[in-house]
Amino acid sequence: MRFTRQLSVLAALAVLPALAAAQRAKGAKSVSCAVRATDAWVKRQAEWFDDSKHDWTNDTLRTALLQAAGIAAPLQAPVQFGVQVAGREPALGPTADKMVAELEKLAAARGSTWPTKSVVGAAGTHAVYLLAQRDTGFARAVLHRMMEAGPAESPAVDVATFEDHLRLVWGRKQIYGTQFHVGDNGKIVLAPMEDSAHADLRREDAALPPFKVGLCLANSGK
Amino acid sequence: MRERPLVLLALLCLAGTLSAQTKKVTFAGETPGHEPKSFAPMVGSWVISKDGPRNVLFIDGRVWKRGQPAGGLADKARALYGARNEEFIESVKAFAYFPIAVYKGLDDFENGDVSVRFQMVGGALDRCAGILFNVKPNGDYLTVRYNGTEDNVVLWTFNKGVRKFVKRAPDLAALELGTWHTLKISVHGTALTGYLDDKLMLEYTLPEPVSGMIGVWSKTDSMIEFDDFTVTPTAK
Repeated sequence: MRFTRQLSVLAALAVLPALAAAQRAKGAKSVSCAVRATDAWVKRQAEWFDDSKHDWTNDTLRTALLQAAGIAAPLQAPVQFGVQVAGREPALGPTADKMVAELEKLAAARGSTWPTKSVVGAAGTHAVYLLAQRDTGFARAVLHRMMEAGPAESPAVDVATFEDHLRLVWGRKQIYGTQFHVGDNGKIVLAPMEDSAHADLRREDAALPPFKVGLCLANSGK
Repeated sequence: MRERPLVLLALLCLAGTLSAQTKKVTFAGETPGHEPKSFAPMVGSWVISKDGPRNVLFIDGRVWKRGQPAGGLADKARALYGARNEEFIESVKAFAYFPIAVYKGLDDFENGDVSVRFQMVGGALDRCAGILFNVKPNGDYLTVRYNGTEDNVVLWTFNKGVRKFVKRAPDLAALELGTWHTLKISVHGTALTGYLDDKLMLEYTLPEPVSGMIGVWSKTDSMIEFDDFTVTPTAK
């Protein structure tokens, strides 16, 4: 119930600025940036990131991860809008470097228990995703672990955004359309992408908003 | 000199025989939104879909559920293997991570070529397109597959509920999503070769000759479109 209330409040807060932005956005006249708690992708994120059952096994690690990532639980859906702008990465906590070093050790140890949802809860897995972006060399191992763990243990929305981010680092094109940069004229520009024709299929699978909404949200400064 | 026309004639006859044996499956006559008529889906959601004006066979990983075989598995297994269907079903359930659809048009493939065109559309965990072969009544099989999350071609065996890595192609191949490619295997006795877009990727000597049904293979949440499934059996 508490989570539902949070969703409602968030949705109400999100709608107003998003609508205003939608009116400003050129070429997006027919697309609304409105984010509603009833949107399928928001509901899927809300369900996945619902930690109300408190059914993770390593509370100490979870607490340390959240602190290092500079986030507080419970997370409010939508946790991800699927908009990542280069150079505008969120600030991490003061213990981030130490925690990244610990995660690196964990990733290098074969057979180690990786902090997935059943270990550190949904918020803990999101913290891992945020921290992994600190070090692109280590990030590949983290993405592999996240993919290997599967959709019940890793947040699809973070896996998708993370894969897009790393594909650009590796000199490839993104496939979900979550990565942007600020152009010379100050406008938000979508980074190179392949197969945009099927983007919505992939985005639906990853609990991301439809592509057009994602572009609208990016232009609205989400 | 008189022998040359005879040789040419013999070659023409041989080519005619071989091409007559080639079976090419397109999905033009099938109904979008329905399961394919030419394949029996055993695991996963295999449906006819549209890629532009063309009908294609689509493995839809969005509806993949861990450990869940395709609907109507028992009936399909009975149609393929009769009284031995229970063994097949048990084995397939053990491999429910791996969507498979068995080609109905050939009961036993031993030698020759099998190819399929594929297009990766999506998949958060996997983007796998494979050729299924040596499918036994007990559910054992071999597959040569391309994985777009690893950019590689690999031969796997599935025996008595256990998946085993056999050989990985030495070269990586990064393919773009939304583009069509061709995967092919050639089997000659125990010699197996695998090709991606006509490039030789994989060579392996199997422990025993191939004999079984064939089809298409995928993995977990892969979203892949398949088309032009072609089989050319040759004599041993």
